[in-house]
Amino acid sequence: MAETPPPNDGTSGIGRNFRDAAGPSPTHKSKLPAQLRAATRKLKAERERDAEGQGRAGKGATAGPSDGRPARKPRRKRRAPAANPRATVHRWFKSKGWRSFEFQEEVWAAYLNGESGLVHAATGTGKTYAAWLGPVLEWLRGYPDAERARRGIRSAPLRVLWITPLRALAADTVAALKAPVEDLGLPWTVESRTGDTPAKQRARQRVRLPTALVTTPESLSLLLARADSRELFRDLACVVVDEWHELLATKRGTQVELCLARLRHLAPGVRTWGLSATLGNLDIARDALLGVDGAGRTNPGRLVRGLVPKALEVDALIPETIERFPWSGQIGLTLLPRVLAAVEEGRTALVFTNTRATAEIWYRAMTSSGVPWADRIAIHHGSLDRRQRDRVEQGLRTGALRCVVCTSSLDLGVDFTPVDRVLQVGSPKGAARLVQRAGRSGHQPGAVSRVTCVPTNALELVDVAAVRDALAAGAIESRPPVERPLDVLAQHAVTVALGGGFRADELLAEVRSTRAYRDLTDEEWAWTLDFITRGGETLRAYPEYARAVADDDGTYRVANRMVALRHRLSIGTIVSESALKVRYLTGGSLGSVEETFLARLRAGDRFVFAGKVLEFVRIRDMTAWVKKATSPDGAVPRWSGARMPLSPELAEAVRIKLDEARRGVYAAPEMRAVRPILELQRDWSRLPAPDEFLIERLASREGHHLFFYPVEGRLVHEGLAALFAYRLAQLAPLSFTLAANDYGFELLSPDEPPLEAALDAGLLSSAHLVHDIPASLNAAELARRQFREIARVAGLVFQGYPGRDKSVKQLQASSGLLYDVFARYDPDNLLLQQARREVLERQLERSRLGRTLERVSRSRVLVTDIERATPLAFPLIVDRAREQVSSEKLADRVRRMTPQLERDARGGSRRGRA
Amino acid sequence: MSDLTLVVRGETLHLMPERAAFWPAARTLVVADVHWGKAAALRSAGVPVPGGGTADDLARLDSALERTDARRLLVLGDLFHARAGRIATRTLATLRAWRERTAGLEITLVRGNHDRHAGDPPPDLRINCVDAPAHAPPFVLRHEPAASADGYVLAGHVHPGAVLRGRGRRRERLPCFVVGRNTMVLPAFGGFTGLATVESDDARALYVIAGDDVLPTFTE
Repeated sequence: MAETPPPNDGTSGIGRNFRDAAGPSPTHKSKLPAQLRAATRKLKAERERDAEGQGRAGKGATAGPSDGRPARKPRRKRRAPAANPRATVHRWFKSKGWRSFEFQEEVWAAYLNGESGLVHAATGTGKTYAAWLGPVLEWLRGYPDAERARRGIRSAPLRVLWITPLRALAADTVAALKAPVEDLGLPWTVESRTGDTPAKQRARQRVRLPTALVTTPESLSLLLARADSRELFRDLACVVVDEWHELLATKRGTQVELCLARLRHLAPGVRTWGLSATLGNLDIARDALLGVDGAGRTNPGRLVRGLVPKALEVDALIPETIERFPWSGQIGLTLLPRVLAAVEEGRTALVFTNTRATAEIWYRAMTSSGVPWADRIAIHHGSLDRRQRDRVEQGLRTGALRCVVCTSSLDLGVDFTPVDRVLQVGSPKGAARLVQRAGRSGHQPGAVSRVTCVPTNALELVDVAAVRDALAAGAIESRPPVERPLDVLAQHAVTVALGGGFRADELLAEVRSTRAYRDLTDEEWAWTLDFITRGGETLRAYPEYARAVADDDGTYRVANRMVALRHRLSIGTIVSESALKVRYLTGGSLGSVEETFLARLRAGDRFVFAGKVLEFVRIRDMTAWVKKATSPDGAVPRWSGARMPLSPELAEAVRIKLDEARRGVYAAPEMRAVRPILELQRDWSRLPAPDEFLIERLASREGHHLFFYPVEGRLVHEGLAALFAYRLAQLAPLSFTLAANDYGFELLSPDEPPLEAALDAGLLSSAHLVHDIPASLNAAELARRQFREIARVAGLVFQGYPGRDKSVKQLQASSGLLYDVFARYDPDNLLLQQARREVLERQLERSRLGRTLERVSRSRVLVTDIERATPLAFPLIVDRAREQVSSEKLADRVRRMTPQLERDARGGSRRGRA
Repeated sequence: MSDLTLVVRGETLHLMPERAAFWPAARTLVVADVHWGKAAALRSAGVPVPGGGTADDLARLDSALERTDARRLLVLGDLFHARAGRIATRTLATLRAWRERTAGLEITLVRGNHDRHAGDPPPDLRINCVDAPAHAPPFVLRHEPAASADGYVLAGHVHPGAVLRGRGRRRERLPCFVVGRNTMVLPAFGGFTGLATVESDDARALYVIAGDDVLPTFTE
């Protein structure tokens, strides 16, 4: 290992570098993440310790580059005099006006030592270079005269794979990774490969991949589906998974786990580093990233803590008058002038909303408010055309924009300069999320991150007071990974069958080396193999179906080219509502809106999208054609994306706040503001103590209402609503309409439900959940909906070949239809069971539901008959979501509906239109 | 089982919960959009759909034939889903066996869009195929609904479903007959077919299939 420099040769220690550094160089100031600048100063005291880090790294630096093949080595002319790679990197940092952080040094040393791990820190604090410069240092150590060697040699083969959850981040990431590579003259190429990659670049990459490839989980799966995947990844030294917290708790995360296991198999010794925001379950996040060994023990890995978030200040705009009947959206835009004033306090601001519809509404209101900077307000959300989003992100970087109204589309690490002011419209829903959003502000040295919440209904003020408590108590949410989803496994198995094929026992061992599938049973594995070869038990008699086939030596491959094409086009686990492009008749794309909304529009109807009022013309070629509307008003589309529930941590903080109110303690300003509401609730009904469970009963023209208030977040409430409806329906043939929000849920039925009898019979019991939940689900059809995603991932439904819509239409079946067919003819299908399990575990959060029931069943039940809707009940009535559980015969139910329909018909109201 | 009886242009029609209409004067049972072999077609495209649907469809057809003692079966298009499905040996064997049992039944297919892709059924199934529009006064038989000056149109193609909303904001989507002044659209007969939501208005009434009954969604 002649090219390995002596450890710690002392020619340019870090400490000296720092002492030499006079501060950020002005020429680079604008490009420099301000957070780096700020934190650099904080770290002054820690400078000296960095020298130790240097020593540590040096000692660990015994291994040369993993690429030992002489043919691939660049020609070395002579050794550069200052060959210490670390010094080189530090000089580069200095040239940018930066200094390295201790956590970066730790990651570099660990990487050079052959370790893997997870780095967690706030966005924009230098995580990227913590992960990236490890491989760079390794190369510099292996080829110290890289600068000179660069000329005349081919770029190095694929060494680093950088996985990013968002295509949109790929370009920024490539730019960030390229900077040191180019400045240091490494013979490396850095490119991205995503769904957006131009055909030319793709073709080039088909021949030869770059040295570092930035890609999405889906594009990585596609690479693994290439027949030459074994050769592609032979030289891989490092995989970095960026924004791991975003992937972790999703099926995309599971897909990444499987891909990482595959890469460990193809390139033994590959190191894996994850970059994540701070989570409540970092150990699990690390284990999911690194996998488990044959004995089920997690692979060793380091957990590195990056820069700690700054102090965070949370406040709220409190409306001057508070209505006593809060409902979502009620406060609406009355706080607009104060939001505008808050934005004016700084030079730049971000206004976060919880939904795309809210973003549209606020954007419209702010731009038509008459403020002189109205033309420097922009909107940013996930349905907008990519080019418009790019323009907005660019505007944020250059400072051309004063204010951006945005959704979680700006939560991720889109790289831009911090803003002066951050506002959050609507409930923060969770502590971690608020921290992340607040992190967009206040990067000046010594500054405090501040976020101002803008309530959309008065009760959200309670959430604000509660989140402040939760943050003070250090409560940060966890993101639990998905446990062994068979749809993702089936898809991955076909991917590997395409990518050179697999032997069943080898792939099983590999799959079990992921955390997600560590407990995969032999039966589940056999079923999965059966599913991809024969379509499952019931399809044995149908030879026309076969996706993968085992050849004579037991290797599974995909033989059918049609199946291969279909599979490549369907890789991935993202299932979106079917959306249509929105375009002007005169040309120009605005983005996409869900079909369910557009289908209700008629020619001439107006709607608001991308901040503009549009007139709907027609739908043709999967596109909604529009023109600019002359009138200023229009309906705002509702996107059916997941509405986020209160996190468990925040829900508990809210319950504490309500109990304080019951005891007459109103300390926080937000609580003082909602005092009249909570006192009215107390007078008309009750405010429950922690050991009490409140049920309100109301008879109205609509029917008989029952209101329950567990305060556990909307998802748990939806599950409890279905469960309680099912249990009540066991006692009497009743139909229920269900509604849920973050505080409680409502069951509405035409006839009075036998509440007391049901309470005696164990309505609130956590016993028999395993039976009752699936039973209630069948009725509620949640599983049928969940099946949509599973059917898509497992390859049951196919979204079509690009540009060939019509001809394959006869090969399409809706997932709902498939679900019905399976339920009837193949009830033991494991994908159906998975749908039920996913609804239980993920949608309904069964474990959280069970814990809630245990808490509730231990409580004293207070049944209160109310004469009119209480402040807590009112939002449920207003904001009702519909679900149906019934034990009535179908025909009876329809006969009941008839009189109502008659009235509708006579009234001339056009049903089905919003 | 309870049918709903209408008089259309002087002719009695029974709307049946088997997703069929019976025209007693002509002893003709009318169905639309059978889509036989759809599951098999999907399977050969790599979608693992379990079988059994064809047998269920045939059982429902038998029930309707038995209750009406129809002599003739009129199919308003889309009898077979796709070519691949048409030649699936298993499906065909089931159909042949059924056809032997119903040897006395005359079957006429008014070709629909799927039939054009699939081609005519094998001759041994003894199905007369005609192009739309076919005439059986006072009715005009078509696959895709369109008004006609020659008579009252019976058609399919749409797979109509009605959304019912009731007290307590309940919602239910059911297959239905769409009965207009000049046109009637039948529900899709095949069990493995989806629904397209149709709204009722002044010009057309919806009759929904709710379990074993056909019910109006309004009262006169």
